[in-house]
Amino acid sequence: MAIALEEVRLLIEASLPGATVEVADQTGTQDHLEATVAAPQFEGLSRLEQHRLVKRAVQARFDDGSIHALSIRTSVPA
Amino acid sequence: MSEPELKTKVEELVSDHEVLLFMKGTPEQPRCGFSMRVVGVLDSMGVEYAALDVLPALEPLREATGEIADWRTFPQLYVKGELVGGADIVEEMAESGELAVLLGAPQPSDAGSADEQPSAKQEMQQADEYQSPPMQIEN
Repeated sequence: MAIALEEVRLLIEASLPGATVEVADQTGTQDHLEATVAAPQFEGLSRLEQHRLVKRAVQARFDDGSIHALSIRTSVPA
Repeated sequence: MSEPELKTKVEELVSDHEVLLFMKGTPEQPRCGFSMRVVGVLDSMGVEYAALDVLPALEPLREATGEIADWRTFPQLYVKGELVGGADIVEEMAESGELAVLLGAPQPSDAGSADEQPSAKQEMQQADEYQSPPMQIEN
């Protein structure tokens, strides 16, 4: 089962208001995705914590098998 | 094994092994590209580590590590009882030299020295130019 990139982007944005989110398809199969997330909520957090926030936003779509793999890049907006 | 028993077992494993890798497959035969990458990093550093294949009990272990470390995807590397991360964080920390410091291993020749590693505070100050490595989540 594939998932729309836009849906992943909206899930992350809804979970991290004010974040800038880009989602790309790494394999052309729409289930290996890469999310680039710049969020003010990341300020002061460790890498692990930043990634946890993003993963939490899309966890349900992992659990239902829509996403197989997600690569995450996080940053704090300037 | 019931879920509480498994969780206790995982906690024991994490505390009993200084370097512990939860992975898909074995170091000799990784069953996932991301697990293979972490094995490659650890082998290249020459550190001793224990490896546990999660595939025979993937979902229960996902639940257990979710409760213990708030991390439900594999691979997971633990050092001295603490979750370090998955493949990309491990690779990034290996390249920067952070992992060698953590493991007490010799520094990679092309990496920065230990005192160049950013502390959490410095990371915050550099936040606008800091980007985490790509982190793979696999189901």
